[in-house]
Formats: sequence, C-alpha cells, structure tokens
Amino acid sequence: MEPSIVELKGITKTFQRGKEPIVVLDGLTLEIPTGSFEALMGPSGSGKSTLLNLIAGLDRPTQGSAVVAGANLVSMSDGELAKFRARHIGFIFQAYNLLPVLTAIENVELPLLLTNLSKTERRERAQTALRVVGLEERMKHYPRQLSGGQEQRVAIARAIVNDPTIIVADEPTGDLDRKAADDILNLLERLNKEFKKTILMVTHDPHAAERAGVTRKLDKGQLQ
Amino acid sequence: MNLVLIAARNLLRNKMRTVLTILGASVAILAFVMLRTVLSAWSTAADYSAKDRIATRHKVSFVISMPKNYIDQIRLVPGVKQATYMNWFGGKNPNKPEQFFATLAVDPTTIFDVMDEIVLTPADRQHWLEDKKGAVIGDVLAKTLGLKVGDKFTLQGSIYPGDWEFNIDGIYSAKRKSVDRSTFFFHWSYMNDSLPESRKDQIGWITSRIDDPGKGADISAAIDRIFDEKDVQTATMSERAMNLGFMGMISSLLKALDVISIIILLIMMMILGNTIAMGVRERTREYGVLRAIGFSPRDVGTFIVGEAAFIGLLSGVVGLALSVPIVELGLGRWLEENMGAWFPYFRIDAQTYVMGLGLAIGLALVASVIPARRASRLLVTDALRRVA
Ligand SMILES: Nc1ncnc2c1ncn2[C@@H]1O[C@H](COP(=O)(O)OP(=O)(O)O)[C@@H](O)[C@H]1O
Ligand SMILES: [Mg+2]
Repeated sequence: MEPSIVELKGITKTFQRGKEPIVVLDGLTLEIPTGSFEALMGPSGSGKSTLLNLIAGLDRPTQGSAVVAGANLVSMSDGELAKFRARHIGFIFQAYNLLPVLTAIENVELPLLLTNLSKTERRERAQTALRVVGLEERMKHYPRQLSGGQEQRVAIARAIVNDPTIIVADEPTGDLDRKAADDILNLLERLNKEFKKTILMVTHDPHAAERAGVTRKLDKGQLQ
Repeated sequence: MNLVLIAARNLLRNKMRTVLTILGASVAILAFVMLRTVLSAWSTAADYSAKDRIATRHKVSFVISMPKNYIDQIRLVPGVKQATYMNWFGGKNPNKPEQFFATLAVDPTTIFDVMDEIVLTPADRQHWLEDKKGAVIGDVLAKTLGLKVGDKFTLQGSIYPGDWEFNIDGIYSAKRKSVDRSTFFFHWSYMNDSLPESRKDQIGWITSRIDDPGKGADISAAIDRIFDEKDVQTATMSERAMNLGFMGMISSLLKALDVISIIILLIMMMILGNTIAMGVRERTREYGVLRAIGFSPRDVGTFIVGEAAFIGLLSGVVGLALSVPIVELGLGRWLEENMGAWFPYFRIDAQTYVMGLGLAIGLALVASVIPARRASRLLVTDALRRVA
C-alpha cells in the first residue's frame, strides 16, 4: 500500500455570491495514493475545479485539513503556497493557456525561471520535456502556429518540466477532437506508467475517465 | 528568456496600439522639450549675466529715459570701474519689418569695455570709433541681413522716426553662446544729433562694471542715493535682475508655459496608463497562469511595470529623436536668426534631455502602478476563470 499523496479531511468550501454563501464542497474527504491516475467527474458546477484548485494550492478551504505532498496547505502563507505549486504541481488547463508571445520551448521553460538552473540546463530540460510529448521539432513555433492538440502537448511539457509530484489537469481534452484527445490521454497514461507521476484529471468525458485507474464522482459537495 | 523579454514581446502583440501610444507619448515629450527649451533659453540669458555689472534705469520703468549727464556722476561713484550708456532704438529692416533684432544707440568709446564678452578686432573697433555713421553688428545678424564690412544699410526708425543710414564697420562674435549675436550697435551721438532739441541728451539705461561683485548692492544703493533728490530718480540693480526685469513682463507667460508642460505630461501619463491598463486587462488570464505556475504577485507586478518601462523608454527615445531635428535645427535656428534678442541660444540643454527621458520612463512607471497592483492582487482562481 503506497502512502497517500493527497489527504483531504472534512473539506468545506463556500463562496460568497452577493450576500448568500454557496456551499460548493461540503465536508469532503479524499485520499489519493502516490502514483495513481484518477479521474474526477461530476455535473457542471459541482465543484470539480474548486476541488482541484484546493489540492493544487491555488485556493484554501473554508474548513477542513488538506495535506498534499506532505505539506499542510491550510497553514501556509500565499508565498509558501506559490513555492509549493512551483515545486510540486504541474498544471494542465482546458484552454492550454500558453503565453502567445513565447515559442513552444520558451513556454516550457517558463516554470524553470523559478529555479536556479543555468540557462543551458533550462534549455536542455525544456527540450527533453518537449521530446517526451513528441514536439521537439516544433520548439521554435509559436502557439498560434500549432494545432489545439499540439498546444495541449506543449502545455503538458510545461507541466512536467520541473518534475512535479502531482499533475492536475482540468478537462484537458475538453477543447479537443477525439483523435487529439486520445493523443493527450495516451500521453497522460504514459506519464503515469512510465514516469510514475500521480495524475488527477477532471473530465466530463467517460472515454477519458476510462483511462484512469480510479474514477470519482463529485455531486452535491460530496464524493460518491 | 526572462520576464523582461516577455514584457518586451507583449508590446509587439498589438503593434498598432503600441505604435500609436509611443507616437502620442513622444509628441508629448517633444512639446515638453520645446517648452523647457524656451524656459531655459530665457533663464540662461539671465544666468549668464555678468556678476560684475550693474544697471541703472529710470526708477519707474526701463522704457522711460534719463538725462545723459547721469553717466558722468555714476562714473565718479567709488567702486565703479567703467560705465556706458545706451538707448533702445527700435529700428527695423525696411525691407522686412517683421524681422526682430535689437538696435542700440551706444557710446562707442566705452561699450566694449563694459560688454567685454563681445569680440571685435581692434582694427574694426578703431575704424568704427572714427566713423560716426558706422555700425557694428553681430555675425548672426550679418548673415540674416546678408551684410559684410563695407556695406551700407538703412534702418527704419520707430521710436526715432525716419530712415537712418549706416556703414557696416565691423562684425562681432561673442565669447559665450548666451550672448545675442544679432544686435545692431551704432553711435549714440549720430542719433542724438539728429533729434529735435526737446528729445536730445536722453539715455535709456546705464551699465556699469564694478570692481567687486560682492559690493554690487552697496554700489547700487550709492548710485540711487545721488539722484534721490533729483526730478528723475533711478533704480540700480544687478544685470541679472535687470534681465529678469525684462522677462518680468513675460513672467506670466513663463508660468503659463510651466503649467502647460505639466498638463502635457499628465496627458502623456494618461495615454500610457490607458495602454498599460488595456494590456493588463486582456492578459489577466496569463497572469493567472504565471501565478499558478508559482510566480509571485510581485513577479506579476514587475512584469507589468517592466512593460511600462519599455513603453516609456521607447516614447522618450522617439520623443527626443524628434526633438533634435525639430527643436535644434528647425525652430531653434529660426529663433536664433530671427529673434536673437530673445533667444540668443536656443538649444536643448543636457538637463532637458535627461528630464525628457527620465519623465517618459518615470511617468510610464507611475502610470503602471495601479494596473500592476490590481493585477498582482488578483486571486489566481479568479484570474484563471477570466475568459480571455
Ligand atoms: N471564485 C468564485 N466565486 C464565487 N463562486 C464561485 C467561485 N468559483 C467557483 N464558484 C462557484 O462554485 C461552483 C463550482 O464551480 P466549479 O468548481 O468551477 O465547478 P465545475 O468545475 O465542477 O464546473 C459554481 O457554482 C461556481 O459558480
Ligand atoms: Mg470546471
């Protein structure tokens, strides 16, 4: 039995909408073992992104305890959370979110600016990450010169370049056609199997969820 | 690659907007440089006034004249080394009455002892002394009027009506750039002899050189005391004060120029601020991504401020690049040639360059403070939810 890399207990998250508080997560508990590939499903607006953001240290729970990669996120300052994200989290977004003014390799290199690696080391690492996603030949291309699937692969290279503990992906195939989506899922599967990355993926798509070892359903603020 | 590079590249994203912004801001810098140069041209004229010279005028105003014999009494005042007198003649070039240059009726025997910054060959000076209808003119004026030594030239009098004919006996240059090289000097006696009895023997002002600049105030007071009981009283002051007094007439104009230059800078800041704020709003999501990756709010702020600094720098450089040909070669040369009495030396001084560039960058930075703060305070989750 692998130790858990994510341990959430009694997590409540409320947002203020005008005067009314809306409870999105309601006393939720979740443990994710190291090295697993899990899918998180649920209706739109059920709080999947909210949960992912809490795990990724982008936001704090209103109540409850959250320990991720050994770090107690609840007690950490904003600065500490930023460092935590830089060190442990690799983000993949639905909308790719590459910086349009940077080439593929520069986008991948971006997270490494926060490390004290030398210029050449950064380049090499970024190049390696692009090789993993099969886009080494496109490294000088700008996002607008790439297809959606290619953009998402660059985004994955950016997510893995600093060797994160966990990869969080929020509907990574949501904007892609079947073929491109399959490429991305194959890639994620490989990252999980070959590189032993823990992956947590939010998805609407049952096909995508099938690839994951575990599928969890979020509804009414609770995991089913 | 680093954040500064990304900031620079962001400027190329909306090229039209960047170009228009830089153009707008650089025109503001150009206007600022022009106004500063007007102000500094005037104040350098005053700053360059000789420290060892004092000027005596009618107590009421420098446009009212005094009896000529005052010069004899002033020359006797202890501490006065040499004194000379002159009248503002107000002559015009009959062919081009709109041309402006100073025409002064002076005492040829003493004028260049007192105004020692004027350079004239001893031969020309001697020649002029002996020629009652002779004139000595500045080299800049000589060029404008197309005159050389030996030519004849007629001035049209305004304060002293009639056509006055002169022989050009000498062309002077100057030891300092601040000296008006467009003045027309001629014998005071030539003018005086032609005047009706009632207007004879009146002088406009007296300039004296003193042996100790530190005693200027005492000597001035001593001079004014001599004439205290006379019908015509005097006001004696440092040459600088006298020059500033001339400018006093236009001091409200100077203030207006100062205010206008501040307004221009504020407009520039608004142009820059608007462009920066627009860029920041459009890129909110990207800032969210940077933050998610682990960049700090401060990095995001730096990023925006860096972009602003680039725009400011480019605006400043373009603005100054426009200023050099327009102000120095165009306007400046025209003013020096046509209004040399007011602008003997109309050039952008080093301080103005530094100020222009500094203000362009500085105000761009100030303009970026609010967008930068707003962006750095964004919640990452909100920024990421923002639809681009
Ligand atoms: N920052 C926020 N402020 C207010 N309400 C929010 C905020 N973020 C999310 N919500 C609300 O919380 C609920 C869950 O949102 P989200 O986690 O994005 O859902 P999902 O990703 O499952 O579609 C929605 O009703 C949404 O409007
Ligand atoms: Mg969502």
